[in-house]
Amino acid sequence: MAKHIIFGAALAAALMLGGAQNALAQRKGGDVVIGISQAPPSLDAQITSAQASRNVTLHIFETLYARDENAKPVPELAEGVTISPDGKTYVFPIRKDVTFHNGKKLDAADVVASLERYRKVGASPALVAAIDTIKASGEHEVTVTLKQAQSTFLDNLSSPRAPIAIYPASEAAKEAGKIEVIGTGPYKFVEYRPDSHVKLTRYDGYAPNPKGTGRDGFAGKKEAFLDTVTFRFMPEGGARSAALEAGQIQFNETVDGPTAKRLGTDNRFTIHKVMPFGLQVIKFNQAQAPANDVNFRLAVQAALDMEEIMAISYADIYQMDPSWLYPGAAFHSMVGSDKYNKSDIKLAKELLAKSSYKGGKITFITDNLRPNVDTATLVQQKLKEIGVEVDITVADWPTVSKIGFTPTGWTFWTHGFGIEPYEGPGSVMAPWVNGLSQQAKDPEIDRIAAAFNAEMDETKRKALFDAFQKHMYDAAVAMKAGNYGIFQASTAKLKNFKPYRIPRMWGVWLEP
Amino acid sequence: MGHFLIRRLAGAFLVLVLVSLMSFALIWLVPGDPAAAFLDASATPDQVAKLRSALGLDLSLPQQMLGWYGRILSGDLGQSILLNRSVTAALIERLPVTLSLAALALAFAVFFGVAAGIIAAVNHNRWPDQAVMTTALLGLSVPDFWLGLVMVLVFAVSLGWLPSGGFTPFLQSPSEWLRGMVLPALTLGLVQVGFIARMARASMLDTLSQDYVRTADAKGLAKLHVVLRHALPNAMIPILTVIGIVSGALLGGAVIVEQVFSIPGIGRLIVGAIASRDFPVLQGGLLFLAVVYLAINLVVDILYAVVDPRVRLA
Repeated sequence: MAKHIIFGAALAAALMLGGAQNALAQRKGGDVVIGISQAPPSLDAQITSAQASRNVTLHIFETLYARDENAKPVPELAEGVTISPDGKTYVFPIRKDVTFHNGKKLDAADVVASLERYRKVGASPALVAAIDTIKASGEHEVTVTLKQAQSTFLDNLSSPRAPIAIYPASEAAKEAGKIEVIGTGPYKFVEYRPDSHVKLTRYDGYAPNPKGTGRDGFAGKKEAFLDTVTFRFMPEGGARSAALEAGQIQFNETVDGPTAKRLGTDNRFTIHKVMPFGLQVIKFNQAQAPANDVNFRLAVQAALDMEEIMAISYADIYQMDPSWLYPGAAFHSMVGSDKYNKSDIKLAKELLAKSSYKGGKITFITDNLRPNVDTATLVQQKLKEIGVEVDITVADWPTVSKIGFTPTGWTFWTHGFGIEPYEGPGSVMAPWVNGLSQQAKDPEIDRIAAAFNAEMDETKRKALFDAFQKHMYDAAVAMKAGNYGIFQASTAKLKNFKPYRIPRMWGVWLEP
Repeated sequence: MGHFLIRRLAGAFLVLVLVSLMSFALIWLVPGDPAAAFLDASATPDQVAKLRSALGLDLSLPQQMLGWYGRILSGDLGQSILLNRSVTAALIERLPVTLSLAALALAFAVFFGVAAGIIAAVNHNRWPDQAVMTTALLGLSVPDFWLGLVMVLVFAVSLGWLPSGGFTPFLQSPSEWLRGMVLPALTLGLVQVGFIARMARASMLDTLSQDYVRTADAKGLAKLHVVLRHALPNAMIPILTVIGIVSGALLGGAVIVEQVFSIPGIGRLIVGAIASRDFPVLQGGLLFLAVVYLAINLVVDILYAVVDPRVRLA
């Protein structure tokens, strides 16, 4: 017994000492410059789905609900929610301790105005398409009624794609792109120099979510220690790496594999892996032959060696996974794995013989991102083995996406799906509904997606997503190659950083 | 002189009309859709169509062309698709950055180029001449983006003397502005040094063989005095023309150098506009650069005509 007491006391002392050291290490001050590859098209968070904007705006603005570390929606500016039994009415109590960067207290009017604004100008109108009315049902309470029950409503409300940011009502009254950048987040806006940088400063009036115990996705307790955070727009990867090495920036949003390896051997730097960051997807154009033939699509699916594609396209930072959601997601599923990554040339040839493809060149379109070009090349080589001739057309994103949004001029198109699997099953299904991505309607997908949206029971929703994934493999609607990640690099002086979908500058500090 | 000016202005106007036509033709020539570029892969055809309509891209080309000329004739270069501001405002914001970069690069190029040309000419067919000409050829052959990265690796990463990129406005801190500008201006200027050096050498050789220079030499004047006071002023006439051409090349080179050094100038604005198919910015930017280029050439032509009367009579 005495031994246990002594051991317990020693453990407690050690923990306290460790905690005290940690608290000592967490010091306020310091300026961090983050090198990002693109300039944000806007800091009006609601009107853009650009990754570059999210990087910045999620430090300034907050949403009613936000995603936790596992991408599950949790309350942020709302204290919680009460959902009516019919799934159509959501009552959100709003936190009373929150103050905007201009000193105004957050209330229901701000939330109503912000949600209404998103319905008018939001970049992802589908997120709020189910809303019928939004009303302030108290000074700190908002009631949202939906036209019909939507199981993904809290997912939508908390999506970081084009965040449904909460603005002061006075700003929410302004048209797209004309707002003053005023949020409730841990950092406040200082200046935006076009083509140069955005500078933020710590907001000392920030009220962290009292329910949060620590950093938790885009939600949780956001503690800002840094004095300023500057996002510098640096399109050249080499220039970003050089700036990190020269000490001009403290964080590089993305570095290539060889640079990550090189910097990883230098103790002045720390390499972070954001894994997974996206799914590598190969789409079929089902509006025209030969991809309108299911046997052709199945033949291609059977032939491809997805591991080879991922190992070459995303060397050192990929994982093989048949699921259309990320590992750890609630609905992550292994359904369809029997058809994933088979590289079965014999089966592929049999299926191809049953198809309408009788030779002739077909087109693979891809943008000029290196992993996408590699993917196209590997598909071209593998399909040659089963007798399918593929031409590759490489262009920049605007050119390729213009072709890919139409039903002619292509058979294959590859690119990443990053935010969709993060957002969840509803977003993963959405690009295939109404034949949007495959250019031909698929009644089975449309049926599953509609049922999924209306279904509130978690178990039944899981079964519906499994059915979707099974259909993706059974009909080879499109192919998932694997999960890829990205490398980030920082100075080793940046402490307690944890990689996530954006480089979060809360919970981190700089050592001298 | 009046006739000369009118001829030059008329020529410049014609060039501007041609450039404006070519700028507009970009809409036909460049593949890709600004609406598709602006939206992500999950955009619905309806969203794309709405954005196209808002941008006026659904109008017929003659309608778009009339709109474009109507606007530029009233001094309006249109509204950027992506930047949430007018093209004119975006250009004016970035103009001082690019002009200061080009001016500093020009100063480097002229100083080192003319000096190297004189050294080569004075030491004609001896090792300094060969060394200068070989270096000049190397300078002309080196791509500016490569030179820029080497500069960064040497002076920013290894030696830590200068920043690797970024821009501080002159009014905010002149010393930081200069520190930030040295590497990009050197990168931009050094590529042009070779060009100016070769021209300066040829012109100087020509001048040094003139009778009045031989006379000055025969009078026993110091070699440096003969070169700088007697030969250089006349040798500078063709060099002035080259400086005009180089100024234009510097504006073009700024497109790459601004990208490498993350400098928020017009070059970077144009590169961004190409990537995002922000046609109003692209069209306005090209027209604007053409105006600046023409203005520089006009000034050079006038200077040339002032220095050498034969030019305005030709």
